[in-house]
Amino acid sequence: MSIEKITNPFDARHWIGHMEADYMYTLGVVGERFFKELKENGRIMGTRCPNCSIVYVPPRMYCERCFAKLEEWIDVGKKGTIHTFTIATIEKDGKKLEKPVIYALIKFEGAHGGMIHKIGETDTVCIGMKVEAVLKSPEERKASINDIAYFRPTK
Amino acid sequence: MSEVAIVGFGCSGFKPITPELSYKELMFETAVKAYEDAGINPRKDVDVFITCAEDYLEGFSIFDEFVPDQLGAVLRHLFTVSGDGMLGLATAYMLIRTGHFDTIVLEAHSKASDILTYIDIVAFGLDPVYNRPLGGHPYYIAGMEMNRYLHDTCTTTEQCAQVVVKNKRNGILNPYAAYGANVTLDQVLCSETCFYPLKKLEISTPADGCIVMVLASEKIAESLSDKPIWVKGVGWCTETPSLETREWTKAVYTRMAAEMAYKQAKINNPWMEIDFAEIHDQFAYKELQHMEALKLCDYGEAGKLLEDGLTNLNGEFPVNPSGGLLGMGYGLEASGTQKLLEVVLQLRGEAGRRQIPNAEVGLAHTWRGIPTATGVVAVLSNVKR
Repeated sequence: MSIEKITNPFDARHWIGHMEADYMYTLGVVGERFFKELKENGRIMGTRCPNCSIVYVPPRMYCERCFAKLEEWIDVGKKGTIHTFTIATIEKDGKKLEKPVIYALIKFEGAHGGMIHKIGETDTVCIGMKVEAVLKSPEERKASINDIAYFRPTK
Repeated sequence: MSEVAIVGFGCSGFKPITPELSYKELMFETAVKAYEDAGINPRKDVDVFITCAEDYLEGFSIFDEFVPDQLGAVLRHLFTVSGDGMLGLATAYMLIRTGHFDTIVLEAHSKASDILTYIDIVAFGLDPVYNRPLGGHPYYIAGMEMNRYLHDTCTTTEQCAQVVVKNKRNGILNPYAAYGANVTLDQVLCSETCFYPLKKLEISTPADGCIVMVLASEKIAESLSDKPIWVKGVGWCTETPSLETREWTKAVYTRMAAEMAYKQAKINNPWMEIDFAEIHDQFAYKELQHMEALKLCDYGEAGKLLEDGLTNLNGEFPVNPSGGLLGMGYGLEASGTQKLLEVVLQLRGEAGRRQIPNAEVGLAHTWRGIPTATGVVAVLSNVKR
């Protein structure tokens, strides 16, 4: 062994590998309807548990509390409250973001769940702030969570 | 039912990089130390080998096929738990309690420096449809959780930063620690706010390392070790994976895991009946949030206890005497075994300059990191009773 210590792992003999992993994630019955409603009608929908009286957003087929099958759909509207937020200043590779990104968990009125999304049109944000979803135009929507461009403070 | 004891261990130490060893050599060298410590021959004396590893972190599919040889477990009875090392402890504990197995080897490691895109793997842990398309560095979830935790408990950013000061200082005394340091509160508070309110120095840095433990039944534990460390209880729990519906203030998964472990160990008042704890601190605020979930204090009180010095190494109830993950380095799926190791060292009286006098009962706790909500708790003692 050499006396000098290796301080950069790339100086040691190594082999670079790459894991190929592409997937197609099936949305299922509930995801199908959620994204169809979002894309075609610009609506955010949840499913309601009749036993627990809670509304799941994003919707699911089952209640995680009582395990009932959920079939009742509810339009939860586009307005919600910031349950918590953060301001990210770095990218995945550790580089500084040109403009910080605000992420928040938005809870909809009357719903148990909510949505993790970005906050736009403002630099100041606080827990409890009322926000609303800003949707992309119908032509731009692709049945993705990014059909919502961001949430902004309600006017 | 048989009692269960840890009768030997090996640790490679934790380091930022390990370019001189492959993951297999790292495991081999560590296993040799553990077998030496317990005085066993892996080719003859081990009933079951358990490794704890997650495929993506290893760069393999079906990684469990790549572990027998370096542990002396070829054509022996081995399986892999796809999770934290303490989930492996729970499995080993159950196996021995059945009465069918007397000696079990438990292994967990991190070769974090081999992972070129670690954060991408973390991001791959997010829901592919509802969360992942938003992009960004997944630690934003820790920033969001810390923010809500501070909001609801009135814990301060200074108290969170103080966790870093304490743990990195303890790390200086731990020869196994990669990141022990004397940092000041100001240095932590002035480090970059990467995910408001979470600061750069409040995020533990990954490290390479390996830990192997030998567990034994009551029947043979005392013949293998003159200082067996008894596992008095183990509990585990997983919250919903849904970020949208999970609890954001309290670490409920840890509370439920603790209640399970305390019930087995007959612990009614953890602060009084346990002498110290090793608690998962991948992010500084998590130490405080987890202390509350572990019933070491009331909800919202952990920051105050820390500020008053009660959880310092010389305090009434030391927390993370090892330096925690902030001081030792974040050992990925080996995090839980890092916690266990310190508890074993303290209870054996082999913790050197950071030895807690007269320690009899210790607590080890782990969490599987962002974006999970899985916790494991174990209570251990050097007194069999």
